[in-house]
Amino acid sequence: MGREGPRHFTTPVRHHSNRYVLVIRIRGLRKWFDSRRGRVEALRGIDLEVGEKEFCVLLGPSGCGKTTTLRSVAGLERPDAGELEIAGSIVSSPAKGIYIPTEKRDIGMVFQSYAIWPHMNVFQNVSFPLIKGRKRIAKDQIANKVRAALKLVQLDGLEDRPATDLSGGQQQRVAMARAMVTEPKILLMDEPLSNLDARLREQMRVELKKITRAAGVTTLYVTHDQAEALTLGDKVCVMHSGEIIQMAPPQEVYGKPADRFVAQFVGEMNFIQGEVTGSGEIRSPLGTIQVLVPNGLSAGTSVTLAVRPEHVRVSAAPGSDGNIHYGKITSKNYLGDCALLEVEVEGVSLLAKLAGDSELAIGSAAVVEIPAHRWHVFP
Amino acid sequence: MKAEAELGAIGYAPRTRTSGVGIFAGGILTLLVIMVGVPLLMVVLMSLRSGFPGEGGPLTLTNFVTVYSAPSTYKILLNTLLFAFGTVIVGLAFAVPLVWLLNRTDIPLKNTIYVLMIVGILIPVFLRTIAWILLLSPRIGLVNQWAMQLFNLDQPIISLYNIPGMAFVQGVSFVPSAFFMLSAAYRTMDPALEEAAYTSGIGKLQTFLRINVPITWPAIAGVMVYLFMSALAVFEVPAIIGFPARILVLSASIFTATNPPTGLPNYGIAGAYGAVMLLAGLILAYFYVRLVQHGKKYTVITGRGYRPRQIALGKWKWAALGFAFLYLSMEVFIPFLVLVWASVLPYLQLPSAEALSQMTLANYTTIFDFVDAMPFINTAILMVAVPSATMVLSVLASWIVTRTQVRFRGALDTIAFLPHAIPSILLGVGLAYLGLAYRDFFPVYGTVIIIAIAHTISWIAYGTRTTNGVMIQVHRELEEAGKVAGASTSRVLGRIVLPLIAAGIFNSWIWISMLSYREVTMALALGTRKNLVISTIVWQFWGNGWVPQVAALGVLLVLFAVLVVGSLKFIFSRIGEVEMGH
Repeated sequence: MGREGPRHFTTPVRHHSNRYVLVIRIRGLRKWFDSRRGRVEALRGIDLEVGEKEFCVLLGPSGCGKTTTLRSVAGLERPDAGELEIAGSIVSSPAKGIYIPTEKRDIGMVFQSYAIWPHMNVFQNVSFPLIKGRKRIAKDQIANKVRAALKLVQLDGLEDRPATDLSGGQQQRVAMARAMVTEPKILLMDEPLSNLDARLREQMRVELKKITRAAGVTTLYVTHDQAEALTLGDKVCVMHSGEIIQMAPPQEVYGKPADRFVAQFVGEMNFIQGEVTGSGEIRSPLGTIQVLVPNGLSAGTSVTLAVRPEHVRVSAAPGSDGNIHYGKITSKNYLGDCALLEVEVEGVSLLAKLAGDSELAIGSAAVVEIPAHRWHVFP
Repeated sequence: MKAEAELGAIGYAPRTRTSGVGIFAGGILTLLVIMVGVPLLMVVLMSLRSGFPGEGGPLTLTNFVTVYSAPSTYKILLNTLLFAFGTVIVGLAFAVPLVWLLNRTDIPLKNTIYVLMIVGILIPVFLRTIAWILLLSPRIGLVNQWAMQLFNLDQPIISLYNIPGMAFVQGVSFVPSAFFMLSAAYRTMDPALEEAAYTSGIGKLQTFLRINVPITWPAIAGVMVYLFMSALAVFEVPAIIGFPARILVLSASIFTATNPPTGLPNYGIAGAYGAVMLLAGLILAYFYVRLVQHGKKYTVITGRGYRPRQIALGKWKWAALGFAFLYLSMEVFIPFLVLVWASVLPYLQLPSAEALSQMTLANYTTIFDFVDAMPFINTAILMVAVPSATMVLSVLASWIVTRTQVRFRGALDTIAFLPHAIPSILLGVGLAYLGLAYRDFFPVYGTVIIIAIAHTISWIAYGTRTTNGVMIQVHRELEEAGKVAGASTSRVLGRIVLPLIAAGIFNSWIWISMLSYREVTMALALGTRKNLVISTIVWQFWGNGWVPQVAALGVLLVLFAVLVVGSLKFIFSRIGEVEMGH
């Protein structure tokens, strides 16, 4: 699977450096639906580039347009404006009158419901794209290809099992094998893990990354689960009401959220209202806080301060750093490896994440310490 | 000791409750077995008896010998088969394209088409048949009159009095039920199955042939078997077109044996015909159930149900709309317009200045010179009693089937479904025999009650299917929460389950009421001069050749039905989602 097969209609576009080869390129993608209550814009101009072998995750709440974007790349939705390129050839451009139908695009796709054809067995499901699909191969090679694909997803030996007798996890694997058996240029996945139970989902998450890496396939992956996005993605695009809000590596999306929406959607976050009082000073219910105020926010502007629970230090004795507050612990949620504490400081309730063996108890007074560089400031 | 006694009490309480439910369930099962089984037993019994109902005597096979040694019987069986095949072909030829057009494409006026199809169900088959005779009869048909006048012919150009004609009218009448059954099956297919083929690089034609067709095949086959089963048993078209044309089928033969134009009724002969029909019905019902189960296996794996993209018809839009309206005009518009036209003229004639000058509403008033109030009262009784009885039984049966652990709940469900496979004509004749032969135990022959019983038995299958559906939607935990809160089983049923399923139940109540209102086969088989209903009055008028009065009464019949269903739908669309479906 990992070897590069000969591909037709692929003339890769080379950009900037010789190493980064664009496989998916989306420019100004727009899509609207006409409903009884007027026009609903599902996509308001999506720009996205995914390089070869890159794992790109589209993350967002339901209705944000992530699935529509994915389905547009697959050709299952027809965009109303913008250009879509796969491996250098335009597959959709309403302006130029180009629309390549799904079956002619060099893709593989895994559906949320897996969409395993119920009237075929495992072998027939996986071999069908090779027999009737875009990349037909010689008959004597089919069995080998199918076996290799099933081995990749660790389903070897189940070839003759009817599709209706598979567990959820097995269906998921068959769907993966079927999507990759033709060695497509890109692999599209629409919330593939959301129908699995929690433990299996975590297992599959690890395995999915291994499989796509081994196959060296470019992947576009849709999910609403932030943990999934952060683990899997080389690049995460956070989407909200038809737009990409932030496109960055996972560490950056978590560490430097572009705006309030990203901050609260990815990970836990405490929010406090405040007002800029001077350079590097914000007045808040917690008192005046010394932080780095972003450029363009002059004195008198209201802002939102945000800090992650794991950056709220709670202790019995005062530490050395600035920004110290005194408060009382109002609740404690023990989770084993960590504990979530709610601390009330000056009438504001802050969530703090501490090591599980912390001995602080409900009702006890505490010192809350937040290092200045941990604060995020959003207009 | 005290603790032990308490434990004993706790351990004991659920057991009494379970057995209470068990006794109740057993009662319902017995009632249903009697209701469904006794009429069928009567059909078998009458086939083995000679002489008049109730005349005793030893069991005999003479009826079978008489019937199956006559060559005419084999002609009848052949006619029945040809008519049934033709009906299925006509029905599917319209239903399958309509299912695709309305579920997958952007055909305009979707809702209007849906509503008109439901209106089509409300037009009784016998009225549609009569209307088509008024158009295509070689003697009086308007089309023939017009063609002969126009081209100066002395021969009619087309006739409805043949097997294709019968199959045409019956097939058109089956389209709505085939449509709704197929649509339901089609919607349970995960659209991602089709999309997965496209993303695997498989073309549209191959996807249709290798994915769509195999997956939907059990549903299509199921509908085919169902239509065939129904076509073997229908009575209205074979009676209205078949009798005058001397094309006899099984149902018509059963009816003439028990209601001969001259001479005495012969229930034994009817039973011998009926036994074959019953056997065929049960065998086909078995295959139908098998196919439905097979189809369900394919629909287990479904996802979030992302609605597939609607196929843009583009310039074909108008052709598609034309097809839908071609069908609707055959089902609704043409029959209704013909009836309206015939109802305002003193005799059937082509549109002309002379005809227009003769237009009158007199036919609507003269109806009441021939009819007293009794048929209207009887029909009203049916419209209230039948749906009420059916729904009470259905709710109780469904509750046992979907909610309790009673061992025989599967058997109960099967018994409740069985009337689906029992031809109306047999149910009618069987109950008539029961009423005549066992007058002392069952003194309802010649009353509206016996018709109500027949209708209730007949629609218990439909009733339980819908109540099963709505009950499954009410999550079991809602009920368990009630029990945990300390409410008794009956209170939970009355205060939690019933309010939640009320809309669905009311919906079926209305629908069964309308089915009872337009039903004619059982009402005729059980009819005497004392228990006439509106539909049998129309039938009588037609038999007497009173075309304008038939048309006028028919128009009133249809308008009333549309008015009732339309206004209820309007009222309930404001309160909540109430859907009409067959």
